[in-house]
Amino acid sequence: MSKKTPPRKKKTESSPRRKRSGLWRFLFRAAALCLVLLAGWMVYLDAVVTSRFEGRRFEVPSRVYARPLELYDGAGISAAALVRELELAGYRSGDGRRPGTWQRNGDRFVISTRGFSFPDGKEPRRRLSLVVRGDRVDSFSVMEGDSSPIVRLEPAQIGGIYPSHREDRILVELDEVPESMIAGLMAVEDRQFYEHFGIAPLSIARAMVANIKAGRIVQGGSTLTQQLVKNFFLTREQTLLRKGNEALMSVLLELHYDKDDILETYLNEVYLGQAGTRSIHGVGLASQFFFGESLKDIDVHQIALLIGMVKGPSYYNPRRHPERARARRNLVLDEMAEAGVISGQEAREASARPLGLSAKPSYTDNRYPAYIDLVRRHLARDYREEDLQSEGLRIFTTLNPEVQQAAEKAATDTLPRLASGEVAEALEAAVVVTAKDTGEVLALVGGKDPRFAGFNRAVDARRPIGSLVKPFIYLTALSQPERYTLISPVQDKAFTLEFDDGRRWQPQNYDGKERGLVPLHEALSRSYNLPAVRVGLDVGIPAVQETLRAFGVTTPISDYPSMLLGSISLSPVDVAQLYQGLATSGFNTPLRTIREVTDAANEPLSRYSLKVDQVADPAAVHLVQYVMQETMQEGTGRSAYYRLPDSLTLAGKTGTTDDGRDSWFAGFSGDLLAVAWVGRDDNGPTALTGASGALPVWSATMAQIPQHGFSPVMPDGVQYHWVNPGEQALTGENCDNARLIPFIAGSEPEQHTGCNGSLGRQIRGWFEGLFQ
Amino acid sequence: MNKQVIIRSACLALFVGLAGGCATGPGGGSIYVPVGGDDRRSAPEPPRTNIPDEQDEQVWRKSEQPTVTEPDSPSTRAPSYSESGDQLPAAALTLVRDADQRLRQGDSAGAIARLERAQRIAPRSSEVYFKLAEAYVAGDNLGAAEQFTLKGLSLAGNDERMQRSGWLLLADIRRARGNVAGADQAEARAAAL
Repeated sequence: MSKKTPPRKKKTESSPRRKRSGLWRFLFRAAALCLVLLAGWMVYLDAVVTSRFEGRRFEVPSRVYARPLELYDGAGISAAALVRELELAGYRSGDGRRPGTWQRNGDRFVISTRGFSFPDGKEPRRRLSLVVRGDRVDSFSVMEGDSSPIVRLEPAQIGGIYPSHREDRILVELDEVPESMIAGLMAVEDRQFYEHFGIAPLSIARAMVANIKAGRIVQGGSTLTQQLVKNFFLTREQTLLRKGNEALMSVLLELHYDKDDILETYLNEVYLGQAGTRSIHGVGLASQFFFGESLKDIDVHQIALLIGMVKGPSYYNPRRHPERARARRNLVLDEMAEAGVISGQEAREASARPLGLSAKPSYTDNRYPAYIDLVRRHLARDYREEDLQSEGLRIFTTLNPEVQQAAEKAATDTLPRLASGEVAEALEAAVVVTAKDTGEVLALVGGKDPRFAGFNRAVDARRPIGSLVKPFIYLTALSQPERYTLISPVQDKAFTLEFDDGRRWQPQNYDGKERGLVPLHEALSRSYNLPAVRVGLDVGIPAVQETLRAFGVTTPISDYPSMLLGSISLSPVDVAQLYQGLATSGFNTPLRTIREVTDAANEPLSRYSLKVDQVADPAAVHLVQYVMQETMQEGTGRSAYYRLPDSLTLAGKTGTTDDGRDSWFAGFSGDLLAVAWVGRDDNGPTALTGASGALPVWSATMAQIPQHGFSPVMPDGVQYHWVNPGEQALTGENCDNARLIPFIAGSEPEQHTGCNGSLGRQIRGWFEGLFQ
Repeated sequence: MNKQVIIRSACLALFVGLAGGCATGPGGGSIYVPVGGDDRRSAPEPPRTNIPDEQDEQVWRKSEQPTVTEPDSPSTRAPSYSESGDQLPAAALTLVRDADQRLRQGDSAGAIARLERAQRIAPRSSEVYFKLAEAYVAGDNLGAAEQFTLKGLSLAGNDERMQRSGWLLLADIRRARGNVAGADQAEARAAAL
C-alpha cells in the first residue's frame, strides 16, 4: 500500500495544507501498520486457539482402583472392615436408600450401591441387605434392583497417574450434563451465551457501571467463552493487554466452533477445587470429589453448589467454609428460580437441604505409595508413561484395602517393640501379602512409614534370604522318594569343606549345638543348618538351583555351598513369588497387581489373567508343606500362636542371616501368603532372628484378617502313616512317639515297631474305633 | 484337533462333577477362622500327633470328662490336610453358570473373566479350574487349558467323580495337542478309578 504514496512535490512548496495532509498520511500509515500487525496477531491468536482446541483438548490422568469388594453369602469380612470399605468407596452412613449410603443396625447392614461399569459388564444400582456374623456375610439379599447372589461394590479409587501439571478431571459430554446445570450456569454466569459472539459488550458496560457505582469489582462482564479462554490459554494476570487478547480469542473461538462445543469444553475445564497438589477440574470430577456421585446422579441443590463455586472455588470451598458455600448455593438457587430453570417451590426446598457432601474426598493422594509404585512398574511393561498420564485409562488393581491396612498396622505397631534406642530407629520393615491361589498382590508395605513414597523395600531391597532357602533343598531331596522321606535320618554334625584354593568353610547351627542323627522333618522344622547343607550337597547344588529357578528365581544363583544357607539375595516380592509355588502345591502363579486396564470409555485394553504352571510334583510339595506346618506348631515359627488362634492352621518358614542383619518370615494360610522382612537399610547387625523380628510382624498381619486355615488337599500318590520317626518304623496310632506323617506311596517304612504306649491310651484308642 | 469334541466331552464330564457339587455352603472342607479364633469348631478334627507326655499318667475311667487340653500346648495342633477340595459356594456357582452361557455364545474371554471371579471366591475347588480349562480350550489356548486341568486335579482329592472328569478332560486336551502318550496315560488313570 505504500506504493500508492503520491510522488513528492518540491520541498519548498510546504504549507499548512501540506502539513495537515502529511499528518493524515502518517496517521493513515500508522493505522495501516497497526492493522497489519493486528491482522498478523489475529492470525497468530487464531493458530493458538485452533491448535489447542483442535488437538487433544485435555490430558486426563489414569485412575487406579482397588479391587471391588464382592458381597455374597459366606464372604469373609468383619463388620468394621465392611464399614471401612464403604467409607473408602465414598459411601455415607445414612438411610441406606439413597445410592451411596448405608445403614447399620447391629449386625445388619442395608447398602444402596451406586452401580459401576466394570470392564466385564455393568453392575447396576441395587439396595442390599446383609448380616455380618462371625466375620462372614450372611442372609445376603437384594432388596431393590436386579437380583443376584453376588454383587460387587464400586471399587475405591486409590490413586492416579497425573501429568506434570497435576490437573485432574473426569471428562463429560454435554448430553451427560443435567439440563438444570447448563441452564443454571447460564442464569448465573452468562445469560446471553447462546446469543453473543464471544463477548457481550452490553454486559461489560453494565458491569462497569455497577462496579463504578459500588467503587469496587462487584460484577464481572465475562462471558463463558471469555472465562474459558482465560483458563485455557492465558495467565491469571489482570492487564489490559490480556483483556484485549481474551476478547479477541473469544471472538475467534466463537467463529470456529459452535456453542455446544465451547460449552462442553468449559464444563470440563472449569477449576473447582484442590486436593493437595492435585487440582480438581470440570464438573464431572467435582461431582465425584465433593459428593461421591457421578454428575448424572446429583440433585439440584448439589448442582447449584457447583455452579456457585465457579465464582471462587477456594473462597466457597464447601468443606472449609460450609456457611459461605451454603449462602452462595442458595443465591444460585434463587437466580435459577428467577430465570425459570426451577420453580420457586423447588428452590425453597433445595435451599433447606444440607450441602450433601461426601464424608471426605473420595480418596487422598498417595495413600498406598509402595503399592502404586509396583503397579506403575507393571504398567511400564505395556504402556508408555505419557499415555498413562493423559489418556484417562482405568486401571483395576488387586489391592485389598483391608489386608493393606492390616499389614501397615502390623509393621508400624510391631517395629518399635522389636528393639530400643538407635537400633529401633534404624529398623525397617517390608511386607507383601498375596492371595495364595490367584497370585494377586493384596497388600504391599515398603517401609515402617507406609505413607512415605521413598525407598520401596518390598520391591527394591534385595537381601540374602537365609533359611528361607531350606524348603527348596528338602523339596529337591524329597522329590527322590527312594532316597529321602520325611523320616530319613540326617546328620546334624559339624564338618569342614575345603575348596580347591585352600579356603575352608565350616557351617554351624544357629545355637552352635550338634544333635547327631535327626529325622529330616525335624531338621527342617527346627531349621538346623548342618543337615540342610549336608542334604543340599548330597542332592547337588545344581539340582537345588534348578528347583529355585523353577519356582521363579530369575537372578543368578551362587554356585558356592553357602547358597544352601541362603546367600541368595531376593526382595520380599521375589520371595513371595518363590513361596507361591510351595503354597499352591507346586503350581507357579505369577504375581499380579493389575487385573484389567480399560480406556476412558471402558473399552478393554489389557487383561492380566490368572496363569498356573506346574513346576513340581504336588506329592513332594505336600511333604514340604507338612513340615512347614510342623514349623508353626513345634518348630521355629511356633511363637506365631501367641497371637493367632490355634484353629488357624498355618505353614511357614523363618529366615535369619548373619548377626541378624536380615530377619525373614514367609508363610501361608488357606487364603493368604505373606512375606515379612525386618532389617536395617545400612545392613547393620540386629539382635533379631526370623522368629523374633519378621514373625511378629507377619503374625500381627495375619491376626487381623479372617481367613481359612491351611489344609492342603492330599495329592495323588501320597499316603499318611503312623510312624515312629526315631525308629523309622510303622507303629500304631496310640503308641509312644507315634506321628501321622505323609509319604510318597511306596516310600513308607516296611518294618513295624512295638507299641510302648501306656495301657490307658491304648484302651481309649480301641473305644474310639468302636464308637466312630 | 477337534475342538467340538473336547468341549462336548468336557461339558459332559463337568456336568457330572458339578451336579455333585452344587448344593453346599461356603468354605467346604477348609476351616474358616474369624479374627480372634472360632469357638464353634464344626470342622472335622485334624489328625493328631501323639507325643508321650509324662504328666499324662491318668487312668481312664468312664465317668471322667474328656481331657481338656491347654490351648497353647502344641499337641492340640497338628499339620492339617484335606481328603478333598472345597465345594462351590452358591455365589461361585452363579458365576460358573454365567460363564457357561458366555461359552455357548462363543465369548471365551467373557467366560474367563467370570470364572476368575469364581476362582477368587472358591480357589480350592477343582470344578472352577476344570471350567477354566474348558474356557481356554474354547479360546484355543490348549497349553493354559492343560495347566488348569492339572491344577484342578491337584484339588480333586479322593472325589472319584471329580478325578475321572479331570483325567478325561486332560486326555482330550493332550490328544488335541498331539501328546498321544500323555493322553493314553490320563485315560488309563480315569479307567483305574
